[in-house]
Parts: sequence; structure tokens; C-alpha cells
Amino acid sequence: MASSATATATFTTLLLSSSFAAQCNISNHHRQSSSLFPAPKTPPLSIFKPLSLKLTPSFLLPKTSTFSSIPKSSESDAAVVDVELEPGNAEPESQFQSELEVEPEPAQVVEASKEEPKREEIFAVVMIGGRQYIVFPGRYLYTQRLKGANVDDKIVLNKVLLVGTKTTTYIGKPVVTNAAVHAVVEEQGLNPKVVVFKYKKKKNYRRNIGHRQPNTRIRITGITGYQDYPAVTLNS
Amino acid sequence: MNKKEILKLAKGFRGRAKNCIRIARERVEKALQYSYRDRRNKKRDMRSLWIQRINAGTRQHGVNYGNFMHGLIKENIQLNRKVLSEISMHEPYSFKALVDISRSAFPGNKNVVLPTRKVNVSSINV
Repeated sequence: MASSATATATFTTLLLSSSFAAQCNISNHHRQSSSLFPAPKTPPLSIFKPLSLKLTPSFLLPKTSTFSSIPKSSESDAAVVDVELEPGNAEPESQFQSELEVEPEPAQVVEASKEEPKREEIFAVVMIGGRQYIVFPGRYLYTQRLKGANVDDKIVLNKVLLVGTKTTTYIGKPVVTNAAVHAVVEEQGLNPKVVVFKYKKKKNYRRNIGHRQPNTRIRITGITGYQDYPAVTLNS
Repeated sequence: MNKKEILKLAKGFRGRAKNCIRIARERVEKALQYSYRDRRNKKRDMRSLWIQRINAGTRQHGVNYGNFMHGLIKENIQLNRKVLSEISMHEPYSFKALVDISRSAFPGNKNVVLPTRKVNVSSINV
């Protein structure tokens, strides 16, 4: 019951926000899980988390390197901009909050317009190596090692099970025909080491083995070919 | 494994198990056994979590999990439970489209009542 209650709460908040904001939620969520850009961690930033500064949330998808390390993305983006603007400000922010609210906003809007390349609001569910992934253009993901793929190879993934844009969803049965996800192989590496320790008690049996599974990092460049498929359109 | 590696793996353990090698060795061996077992359990637990989330999402639309999956299988939609649970959380409109497809393929839910808002009795001022 508790899980359904919380699910109801999150569902209604998602419905209240626009579908773009829902995309916003996905990108933040996946940003945390894929840790796209290595961000410099600065300890003072943790103090600024409880700040609630006014923002235009739709512009500040955290795409640049300085913003991504902090989980509460919208509030902490403003916090990061604050730190950059006023480095000598060591006093508690509550006194200066009204001034801070006015100052960062022009800087934020300028930064957002400078650093925002056109990103299509689209996602796809693609099957690679027997597993399904939700995929966005411009992000990377780790998959099973693709044999025969070298670094900087262009790859086309054909098993596209679902494509979603802001207004329409193309649900494949099982595959969206002629849809293709284009990707570039970035790196062929290994997963972090896992220690496989086998032990039987009282029988003097211990085996200690380390294992690193090979993987491939691919970056998604685009999703194409889904336009002619029968779609479910949002009527709003 | 030598002492240094064992004590490195024993960080965060309770009491003497993080400092004294004879106790740490036992605890670290146990911890590694648990991690071996739990790598297999994690797959089961995650699937159970996904099913709970999909169930919650579909019941908001008046369909329960069993009928929903049956409808998807009938329509030959091969999305797995991980992706379905993510869609149910973050893409509500796409998820509603999936539920509608499933309901039209397998209309099994005649008696399911959509969840009504319960009003807290104590909040009514009389």
C-alpha cells in the first residue's frame, strides 16, 4: 500500500509537470547513473545545498562539466553559479538570499544560451547484447563487449523496441521497423574488478579469483527512421 | 591474501574486526561469501522491485500486473521489466499508451476499481 501511495504521489507530480519536465527528470536521473562528465568536486558546494533559489528550470539541464556532480541539480546549479560569481562570500546565505536571487539569473540565462546545443527531446529503448537500455542522444552507456568494433567506429543499432518524443510514442511489436540508433564506439575497456571468493567451511576449500568483465562504451549520436511507424500521439 | 589486503577490505567493520587481523580475516571471508551469494540475489531482488513498480503504475490505470503482461505478450511487445518500470516512473504518457494497448489486447479487468482519494476523517472540521 505504501509503495502504491508513493507511486501515486510521484505519478501525479509527473502529470502536473509538462512532458518536457518529465524528460527533464529522466535526463537528471540518468545523468547520475551514467556520470557523464567527470566533475571537479569542491567541498564548499555542500553548504549551499539547502538554498532554494528561483530558477528557470527548463533551461538548466545539467549538461556542462561543473554542474553534474551534485544530485539536486536545479538548486545546486544556481549554487554553483553563486560560488563562481561571489567567491569571497563566506557569510550565511540566508541574509543575502534576495540579492543572490537577482544576480545569478542574467548570468544563468547567458550561460544556458551559450552552452546549449540543440538536443532533440527523444529517447529510445534499444536491445544490445541481450539487454535493453533506455538511450538518449549525446549520452554514453556501457554494454557488453562488441567484438570486432574498434575505437571511433560508427555503429547502427537496429533492434529498437520503443521510440518516444515529446508528443508521440512509437511502440514496436516487437521492433520499430526501419528505426535505427546511431552510435560511436568510444572505448573498449573492462568493468571494475569483482572478487569471486569461494569457500566451503570445515573442508579447507578456498578459492580467490578476480574477474573483470570486458565492456564497450558507446556514445549515442542520433535516433532516426521511426517517422513512418504507426504512433500513439498525445492529444493535448 | 596478505594482511594488508584483508585489512583494506575490512574497512567499516565493527569493533576489532576492522583492526585485528585474526578477527578481520574471518569477517572478510564471510563478507566475500555474502557478496558472491548476493550478486545472484540482486538479480532476483531487482526483478521483484521492477514488478512491484509496474504493478503500481498499471493499477493507477485500472489494470493489474498479470493482465498487463498478458496483454503485452499477446501484442508481441518485448520490453523487459526493467525498462517498463523506468517508463512507468518517468514517461507517464508512454506508459499509459502501453497500458491501453494491453487493455485492448486482453480486457481482463472488469472488476478492478480505480483507486479513490481517501479523505482523512480527522481533517474534516465539524
